[in-house]
Amino acid sequence: MAVTLPEGDLNGRLERYLEGFRNRHGLEESEVEANIVRLVVKPEILPAVLATAKERLGVLHLSFITVVDRVESFELTYELLDLRGGQVRVKTTVEGEEPVIDSITGIYPTANWHEREAYDMFGIAFRGHPDLRRLYMWQDHFDHHPLLKSFEISTKRTFENLR
Amino acid sequence: MLSEERRTENLTLSGRVSGRLANPDVRDEFGLETLDMSMGPQHPAMHGLLRLILELDGETVVRCDPVMGYLHRSKEKISENRMYPAVIPITDRIDYMNNIAMEYGYVLAVEKLLDAEIPPRADAIRALMNEFGRIMSHIPSIGFLLLELGAFTPILYAFRERERIQSLFEAVTGARMMFHYIRIGGVKADLPEDIPEKMWEYIEGLEQRLQPDFVDLIEGNEIFIARTRGIGKLTQEKAVEMGLTGPPLRCTGVEFDVRKHYPYGWYKNLDFEVITDTEGDVEASYRVRLGEVKQSIRMIKQILENLPEGEVMADLGRRIRPAEGDGIGRVESARGEYAVHVVSDGSDTPYRVHYRTPCTVNMQLLQEIVPGHYLPDIMPIMGLIDPVSGAWDK
Amino acid sequence: MSLDILNQEPFRFLLSVGVILFLVLNLAAVFTMAERKVSAYIQLRYGPNRVGPRGLLQPAADVFKLFTKENLSPGRADIWIFLAAPIAMFIPAALVWLVVPFAPNAVVADLNVAIVFFIAVTSIGALGLIMAGYGSRSSFSLLGALRGAAQMISYEVPLILSLLGVIMLSGSLSLVDVVEAQSGGFWHWYFLPQLPMFVVFYISGLAEARRVPFDLPEGESEIVGGFMVEYSGMTWGLIQAAEFASMGLISAITVTLFLGGWQPPFEFLDLGNFNWIWFGLKTALLVFTFQWIRWSVPRLRMDQLMDLGWKVLVPVCLVWLFVTAGLMLLLPSVF
Repeated sequence: MAVTLPEGDLNGRLERYLEGFRNRHGLEESEVEANIVRLVVKPEILPAVLATAKERLGVLHLSFITVVDRVESFELTYELLDLRGGQVRVKTTVEGEEPVIDSITGIYPTANWHEREAYDMFGIAFRGHPDLRRLYMWQDHFDHHPLLKSFEISTKRTFENLR
Repeated sequence: MLSEERRTENLTLSGRVSGRLANPDVRDEFGLETLDMSMGPQHPAMHGLLRLILELDGETVVRCDPVMGYLHRSKEKISENRMYPAVIPITDRIDYMNNIAMEYGYVLAVEKLLDAEIPPRADAIRALMNEFGRIMSHIPSIGFLLLELGAFTPILYAFRERERIQSLFEAVTGARMMFHYIRIGGVKADLPEDIPEKMWEYIEGLEQRLQPDFVDLIEGNEIFIARTRGIGKLTQEKAVEMGLTGPPLRCTGVEFDVRKHYPYGWYKNLDFEVITDTEGDVEASYRVRLGEVKQSIRMIKQILENLPEGEVMADLGRRIRPAEGDGIGRVESARGEYAVHVVSDGSDTPYRVHYRTPCTVNMQLLQEIVPGHYLPDIMPIMGLIDPVSGAWDK
Repeated sequence: MSLDILNQEPFRFLLSVGVILFLVLNLAAVFTMAERKVSAYIQLRYGPNRVGPRGLLQPAADVFKLFTKENLSPGRADIWIFLAAPIAMFIPAALVWLVVPFAPNAVVADLNVAIVFFIAVTSIGALGLIMAGYGSRSSFSLLGALRGAAQMISYEVPLILSLLGVIMLSGSLSLVDVVEAQSGGFWHWYFLPQLPMFVVFYISGLAEARRVPFDLPEGESEIVGGFMVEYSGMTWGLIQAAEFASMGLISAITVTLFLGGWQPPFEFLDLGNFNWIWFGLKTALLVFTFQWIRWSVPRLRMDQLMDLGWKVLVPVCLVWLFVTAGLMLLLPSVF
């Protein structure tokens, strides 16, 4: 039961990935830059794009999901590795106070705790997640999502006047 | 922030109890029930502060639910409120067994943002220290595995080695544990003059001690083999699916090492092998760790033989203020792929720092493979994953 | 009035019981010290070296600490069972010392069924263990007690079977007779003709004394002390004393049955009434091997422990029992 990892020339492989994504999803903004395939997708088609990556192109490893709070919207970065030098970085933006996005645990089971962490820290709900609980913070009696920019900490300092 | 509807939904999700028994016929006959057990957070084998909610049928685990967060120190939030160089000491405290790699990942990410050019000597010293850090982490890992199986002696042998490396580190960095040595643009200071020689001496000695202290004593023990062979068995598909990296992935035979496949720093110039094993059980992970220690020794020798001359710090100006954008630094820590994602908004402080620690991801495995094992098998499985409390909780 | 009165019943018995109790209680302290020093030297450390000369007063300090500690009990514990358990563990471990022959005339009670007494009384120790685990009302304790009960009962079987060879050879159930049958140099000791039985007895003895690799009821890294996780202060101290007493006891019985008791290894080394020195030396050596094993090997798992007991040790005993019986029939002149 061996896993087949992609082989061959890195640049050719990255071009193949880019072609694959473009053919299926028509992603105009995508590009290959410094060994990274960068995609910007709409949140609705994100699971489909990741399914393409895993099942058709053989990018097997989900490295992490970063959420960035852009105050009005949330920017999600899905970092995929093919374990042989190629990287696929998928970015998507979800809007709203209580953002909802489709879970990708069905595609990458490892996303389970990444999504729980994102839910815990930012309050992003993942539709279809099997077990969406907080990962780090208290399960009850705690209504905050600490990595939001609106969550002020008392010792916040600014370095504006520093030279 | 949570609406009432979503909260009730969450409660129903978290309140699940399986009630499964390993052998349901027995329960029906005698009216037996499973035993709920909360293991940790104060428990000697939980690598710090982990709590496992277990459901036991006799000694067989039918459900295992890790509860984390007991050492959560909000590293990511703190990092958002500090200037770029001041984040490095924070990263030190993430994985406190292997902190040099933690610094390295963050610094790489910031350097990618800055497009900085690092002097070759600094790169070489970083790799040198990183490999020492790996030895410093892998050898106690082996010791902890044995400690959890009930043998107390190997951990002390392991800590003897760790202490000696710490003494070397003290001479180089000035600290024994929280080094704060790798800086943005290079390293804090050059190696003291006599240190390369001392490092060489230590490495030669370690090579000789490895066989009697960590192979003969451990692998030559029937009970160790009985307790670890076939325990926590992983297939390659499962390992890749769960996003494992580091020794737990490599012990199944998947050859993936960030140093080899996503090379960074001085590792492009080094000649080393990626150690893999075919079994995918606890014993295999022990062999992988031991093999990696040997590879680290080999790399350290190569670095010490060809240590480039020159500066150890690039001139990046006093004020580090990267342009808007994001940088990802990815290194192979002792426990797997460690990645730092730094998002900059053009100010003095990072807009967002995300640490992808291997321990958090690898620990998902507990839910998956512990059920079906006996209660005492949790300990070798913890040794297979070898998480560090600071790293999974951040 | 001379000291002769001390040699008459019941004074002799009472006095010697007092001596035995003193010895057993002190044994725990001495063994703790030995354990810590042995482990320290195995692990390249110094061990205790602060209290008294070379740390020799450390056990006294430990006992003082235990006495001054508060005896805590869990709120929902079954308090009588909880408190009675350490006593139920300690008494059997101390009681068997009454039948151990230390020297030619130094045995408190020379029972003619001493071996049966030993088997019967050591089994009671398991009861104390179950009481401790049940009374504590903790899932860790309960698991420890269940493991302990299963382990002690399964290892009784090979322990008893391995004794049978010695009983057959010596033709007596009295420990004094067994020792006397082994006189005349170490080649007469029973560990040579009964080597498999000796090994089985030693291993089952380790299991009976709950030492690594058979310390599953304690299982320090998995069930954090098992049946004694809730004990503190002197109740815990008593459990420890019972553990060390039973460790010493298993060594002493092994010496008596297989290593010639007080008999010197060569006849010219006979020390007469001072032969207890030989007994002490052999017992100490065995205790040292117990400690050596403890600090070198990991712990077995419950199912592996059961496999070892029932699938290896019991068949070995049965086979060697037949071999012994056959040899005794065929070569009556030798045995």
